Amino acid sequence: MRKEKRGGKDVEKRESMWDVYLRRGMSRRSFVKGCVALTSLMGLSTDMLPKVVEAAESKPLPVVIWIHGHECTGCDESFIRSGAPLASDLILTQIALEYDHLLAAACGEPFEAHLEKTIETYKGKYILAVEGAACTKDSGVYCMSGGHTFTETLRRAAANAAAVIAYGTCAVSGGIQAANPNPTGSSGIAQFVGKTPLVNVPGCPPIPEVMTGVVMHVALFGTIPPVDGSGQPKQFYGNRIHDTCYRRPFFDAGMFAESYDDAGSKAGWCLYKLGCRGPETYNSCGNLRWYQGMSYPIQSGAPCIGCSNAHFWDDGAMSERLPKFAYPIGDVDKIGAAIAGVTAVGVAAHAAASVVQRNKHRAEKAKENGEQVTK
Amino acid sequence: MKHVVIDPITRIEGHLRTEIQVDEATGKVTDAISSGTAWRGLELVMQDRDPRDAWAYIQRICGVCTSAHALCSLRAVEDALGITIPKNAHYIRNIMAATLTVHDHVVHFYHLHALDWVSPVEALAADPVAAANLQNTVLGAYRLPLHAPGTSNTEAYDHDFPKASPQYYAELKDKLKAIVESGQLGIFSANWWDHPDYKLLPPEVHLMAVGHYLEMLDKQRELVTPHVIFGGKNPHPHYVVGGMPCSVSMQDGNAPVNTARLDIVDRAINLGRTLANNFYIPDVLAIGSAYVKAGRVDGGGLAKTRVLGYGAYPIEPSAGTQNGGFFQNLLVRCNGVVEDFGKGLAAAKIYEINEADFNDPAVFTEGVEHAWYEYPEKGPKDRNPWDGVTSPKYTGPKDGSATEWKALDEGGKYSWLKTPKWRGRVCEVGPLARYIIVYAKAQKGMLSEPTWAEKMMLDQIAAVSKVLALAPEVWLPTMVGRTAARALDAQLAAEVNKFFFDKLIANIKAGDTRMANAEKWDPSSWPKEAKGVGLYEAPRGALSHYIVIKDGKTANYQCVVPTTWNACPRDAVSGHGAYELAMMDTHVGIPDKPLEIARVVRSFDPCMACSTHMFNAAGEKIRVFTTDPYAGIKVDE
Repeated sequence: MRKEKRGGKDVEKRESMWDVYLRRGMSRRSFVKGCVALTSLMGLSTDMLPKVVEAAESKPLPVVIWIHGHECTGCDESFIRSGAPLASDLILTQIALEYDHLLAAACGEPFEAHLEKTIETYKGKYILAVEGAACTKDSGVYCMSGGHTFTETLRRAAANAAAVIAYGTCAVSGGIQAANPNPTGSSGIAQFVGKTPLVNVPGCPPIPEVMTGVVMHVALFGTIPPVDGSGQPKQFYGNRIHDTCYRRPFFDAGMFAESYDDAGSKAGWCLYKLGCRGPETYNSCGNLRWYQGMSYPIQSGAPCIGCSNAHFWDDGAMSERLPKFAYPIGDVDKIGAAIAGVTAVGVAAHAAASVVQRNKHRAEKAKENGEQVTK
Repeated sequence: MKHVVIDPITRIEGHLRTEIQVDEATGKVTDAISSGTAWRGLELVMQDRDPRDAWAYIQRICGVCTSAHALCSLRAVEDALGITIPKNAHYIRNIMAATLTVHDHVVHFYHLHALDWVSPVEALAADPVAAANLQNTVLGAYRLPLHAPGTSNTEAYDHDFPKASPQYYAELKDKLKAIVESGQLGIFSANWWDHPDYKLLPPEVHLMAVGHYLEMLDKQRELVTPHVIFGGKNPHPHYVVGGMPCSVSMQDGNAPVNTARLDIVDRAINLGRTLANNFYIPDVLAIGSAYVKAGRVDGGGLAKTRVLGYGAYPIEPSAGTQNGGFFQNLLVRCNGVVEDFGKGLAAAKIYEINEADFNDPAVFTEGVEHAWYEYPEKGPKDRNPWDGVTSPKYTGPKDGSATEWKALDEGGKYSWLKTPKWRGRVCEVGPLARYIIVYAKAQKGMLSEPTWAEKMMLDQIAAVSKVLALAPEVWLPTMVGRTAARALDAQLAAEVNKFFFDKLIANIKAGDTRMANAEKWDPSSWPKEAKGVGLYEAPRGALSHYIVIKDGKTANYQCVVPTTWNACPRDAVSGHGAYELAMMDTHVGIPDKPLEIARVVRSFDPCMACSTHMFNAAGEKIRVFTTDPYAGIKVDE
């Protein structure tokens, strides 16, 4: 293990991404290429490239500890589906994934000892990724691992982390097991995180490149990405799916699929009347899409179920339209019926819907101007 | 005698703990515990939900075998409501299923299982020239180029073929060396790399396999693009009761499915075929045959005694489960139970599984003798899922406290998994079970006019028997056999995928573009009360979902899941479950480094979140008994 002098003490030298590229005999060109990929991945303009290169040269390879509560491993699976960076590149050259139940070679006692050692060695410097909800009922006995409760491990690992990433709706707000009647008293992890900065990355699961993008932002810039009032990275959760949806013109024109597989459905019209939750859901499905632009549920003909929304499992039957249980979006039935006045009514209905969006942006702008979100 | 705990077992889905008693002198495991250590209560969450949404909720049981529970749930709901789905939707669901199986098996072998066999540390001693030669030898000796007859071949050449150049291996070796020397091993940290089992294979095999580990990590994401096209995303693609949401139209550029979209699906199916044929099968046979030559034919356990399957891939849309439509329409008739296969074909007993077994409440039951639940004192010891009762009763460990365990209580309750039974007996399920059942049925003349898929399975078994120079009843029910059967299952699923893709194209070509049957979408068209069963051969084995619908809502939902069959706790009458017996059937070389135990457990591809959510949604008030060390004994009602 390499050592370096810091504060008069021998400490373990942590390698930057550039060190790793050097050691592994990779060219400067491939290094810069890697930075370009990251720059665009993180939604930054190419003007930012020098900053990304600088950050990657000087920042040590981030140590990541990934722990699992009440979950289904769908978030891990999404993470390894990332197209850029590829999972192999990510875990071998860009982060040091020291603890993760899905991919780690080790198990049992030596693996648990390695967790303790990693927490101790990289105290205050590692990123804690958490997948799954925190089970709170009956002292948390419904979620045990390594012989102790998940919540105990979570509390300890979070207290010593530089930042915590809550991956997926379960870690952010409890997810499926927290749905009514929540038999195990499950919740999001926030209450166990303490004062450590927390980034919320909801979705069931989140989009692969959103997952890798968030951890890379922390790694490269040394800060958590700019977040909104609910701790969600703005670059990925700043827009409603409705506002970035390629089917949006059909909504505005009042052209809707009325049932599955009808003529409107075949023609790719708006799925609002089938229960689409796009108008209330903040996520990157409309702009990034899944598999680097290949599709997202709406593009495949399926209404959005709002999986990045807190407690979406309890937001009524999925076939129910938004006005039945959430804020009003206008009377879309009138839009569909009044063919003659399609444009006028459509625009009016839409103006009402957009107020929510505009207000949200306005509030955030004010916040940005007033206080820099640095955590 | 030494007590050895492995907790957590990693490279699996969810939370699993094992404990063994091992005789240090002989390496014999005299007792073994398999414990699911988390419980989420998802079936209770299903209570009162819209049955049309059940697939979405219950799909969240598992994100690794994503779609398995959604597809099984759709079958259960459609069985209850008497819905027959359009052909296009049916073929696409089979493509979703086959795609999942190929992907799940590839990821299991390379990313969840491979590091039990191969080591990046051993790879450092490899000679790159010899590694390149070895790759060629492996391809020459172990490829099994079997295909579904008459299916389309849309690939000009095998786009995905293993690299076999010395330069490639030299670079790979250098990179591994740099990682190992850095001391920061990341995912390779803290394993028992000095275990002598890693010396069973030459260094070149280690180098080749680590290369494939990385390549497959990049390729696996491309295998699931059919889920993204037809379901909008992966993990957790979208479905709809009555068909599929992805309407097809060749007239509109905005249609979810058109020619360009189908081409993406075809590309992924081709990829699955070539990865299975050029990487997965040759790698598994190369490694497996080395283990067999070293005398490692243990770890079979319950597979030798009893295996169970429900049947896979209904060829055309079936009219339901309870009326038997499902069983008359199967591409793979692995519906059955085979007992005593380990004693040889002559001694093996075969029982057919069909609708009668699901209509008779005595056939499939679950017990809670060693599970953290209790049944009412009055009533049967084992209960049918229709009649399931789940009242959690957490009793803590034998040694330690409720929240800090040292040793679990093998004499009492020790797992969140119930014990599922067929006619009062525990069974092993999974790809190995499917292969044993089809093989035994065929040999005993119980498969009239075998389908192409069944013939392919028999050809696969014959080819592997030749490679290993062992009879099927010897090599199949072993740890190596379980891992090899999964590879064969992946190859079969890749062909099944192409078979249904061709059917889909032919059907659209014939002018049928229907994708969803909306006749019974409106709950007012449903009977006041209905019940349904869905059956599905998931990557890990036989899966069943049971639903009761009352007044348009879900009144009860139960799942009996492959990993529950395999990882279940013991039972006084039937004995140990499959994990426990497999551990007891495995020799342990170094008790402090029980690599063999982790390996044999991983040969089942554990999926704990699937198995431990067991809960009945009949609406009973849950009673939880806790032994909180701070609060004393508490009864929370």
